[in-house]
Amino acid sequence: MLEQQLINGLTLGMIYALIAVGYTMVYGVIQLINFAHGEIFMLAAFLAVTFITVFGLPLYVVIVLTMACCALIGVLLDIFAYRPLRQSPRLAALITAIGMSIFLQNLAMIIWGSRPRPFVQDALPSFLRTTAFSIGNANVSWMQLSIFVLASTLMLVLFFIINKTRVGTAMRALSQNRTGAALMGINVNRVISFTFALGSSMGAVAGIMVAIYYNTLYPTMGYVAGVKAFAAAVLGGIGSVPGAMIGGIVLGIAEALGAGYISSLYRDGIAYAVMIAVIIFRPSGILGKSTVEKV
Amino acid sequence: MNINLKTAIKYLVLAAVLSYPLFAFASEYVLHVMVLIMVYMVLAMGLNIVPGFCGLLDLGYVGFYGIGAYTAGLLTIHFGLSFWVIVPLAALNGAIWGVLLGAPTLRLTGDYFAIVTFGFSELVVLFLTNEIWLTRGPLGLPGIAPVSIDLSWLSRLINPEWDWYWEFFGLRPYFYLGIFMVLLVYIIMGRMEDSRLGRAWFAIREDPIAASSCGVNLLTYKVIGFAISAAIGAVGGAFLARWTMFLSPDMFKFWESFLVLCMVVLGGLGNFKGSLVGAAVLIALGEVLRMVLPTLGLPAETRFLAYGLIMVLMMRFKPAGFFPSIATTSLKNPMLIKLKKELGSS
Repeated sequence: MLEQQLINGLTLGMIYALIAVGYTMVYGVIQLINFAHGEIFMLAAFLAVTFITVFGLPLYVVIVLTMACCALIGVLLDIFAYRPLRQSPRLAALITAIGMSIFLQNLAMIIWGSRPRPFVQDALPSFLRTTAFSIGNANVSWMQLSIFVLASTLMLVLFFIINKTRVGTAMRALSQNRTGAALMGINVNRVISFTFALGSSMGAVAGIMVAIYYNTLYPTMGYVAGVKAFAAAVLGGIGSVPGAMIGGIVLGIAEALGAGYISSLYRDGIAYAVMIAVIIFRPSGILGKSTVEKV
Repeated sequence: MNINLKTAIKYLVLAAVLSYPLFAFASEYVLHVMVLIMVYMVLAMGLNIVPGFCGLLDLGYVGFYGIGAYTAGLLTIHFGLSFWVIVPLAALNGAIWGVLLGAPTLRLTGDYFAIVTFGFSELVVLFLTNEIWLTRGPLGLPGIAPVSIDLSWLSRLINPEWDWYWEFFGLRPYFYLGIFMVLLVYIIMGRMEDSRLGRAWFAIREDPIAASSCGVNLLTYKVIGFAISAAIGAVGGAFLARWTMFLSPDMFKFWESFLVLCMVVLGGLGNFKGSLVGAAVLIALGEVLRMVLPTLGLPAETRFLAYGLIMVLMMRFKPAGFFPSIATTSLKNPMLIKLKKELGSS
């Protein structure tokens, strides 16, 4: 029982971590809680199903294609919604983010309908649902194993991009000091757009994996997943990419254990409660540095 | 003649609105929408205190609305208290939760505060959904007695056989009760805005550091503002409970917070009179969309698409709303800008 919960929680946590890096990177670079990030996660699931049913593409092509589409959506979101508000008060940008989230959610409702639908099962290899191996009493399915491998690979790629490439260096510079970075000749808007693209493509993979894992997708699925991923980002220390990964995994395991041992009714409540507690008692999170407000 | 045309028209419109329900052609539907507008007017005025006056984003307002509604509903069902007792109790309960949530969290910067309040409202909905022993959960809470402003003795005075009172009045008592409530909150808001409290809030909104160096205790004033806002939200909820006579957790989802926030922003952050216009416009728009959307084969919920778009465009082109508060406008005053530059604050 415990082992199985831990494995389920870890799988869930890897998915949360993938969404959480999107929140944390955007927050690190422009100090904005991108509420619409959860909606990109949702759009990814619907786009993937559409690509499979309409064009009949194989799953791995669909994943790459959806990542590209969501990266584009993320960039467009930044250009049209957030870029005009760079110099405005934080409140305005935050309200815009909520507005975009509601807009995208309802757009999806108009395009694909509001009812939940199953994922296209024909597109999936049938062995995914079978057990890959067992640890003690717990079974790890091929599905869980592939989520784990895919998410870990993506995170390694992300680490490489952020720490070893030029654009990654620019992103880190921007999160330190935007004006300073601009003075050093960094094209600020382009780097911010790249951050949105990177975060959105990570969220897109998470969206497809959740849709396959739970075999269901609906227009409001981004809302709860988005909040939980944000909670994970806060838990790990918002602005810190490794923090988001750790936060996601911790939250996923906490949720699985809480649902298993406390009450499954309050499954979502655990994430909210963790988030509120962390924000109140340790706003800088597990890995975040406590910043002193400059006067 | 001393009365100018503008004042005369204002009073004529007011008289027409006030007497409208007395006419036979006032359909139940229009009355329903009017009462709904008044509930949202109260909510929007109450919410305006936090983002408008104090400059903090509160995404959990619907939590207090729900707390007020369920407090009123449960008290009515189990104890059968009068409306006039229940409303203050609901307001008190709202204020208590406002202090409990606000005291530890109002030290936080804007974004964190927004997300904590959001989490709070989600927890309220989860509580209402899952604590079935208390709230009946998703089944909802039916059978809340309506407000009895019983004037039926008047009807019996005329004809003891014919109890025309309820037949004739229907939603009308709620209409006038709603007017009374909006007026009451309006007067309270006006008094607060013009008091030491209101000035402290505006000071916090415009520049927290300057305000605190002038001796404004930031946390105290923010908590007071948050608690009053919560209490007003709970009053709106209490009224809703006694009016709809049915409550369910679905009525207190995040959308409601968002809708009220739209009203506040549209009407003008920091201008509670603007919130009245915001509430009227958005509810009316919502009703129009509710009728139009199904004819296009779309679910009525998609009206939030329009609200989302309105919010984004408002923030882009008119971030302070259509009727910005005086203080925000005064920031465009060249002298103030010069002063701010000299003082070196950004």
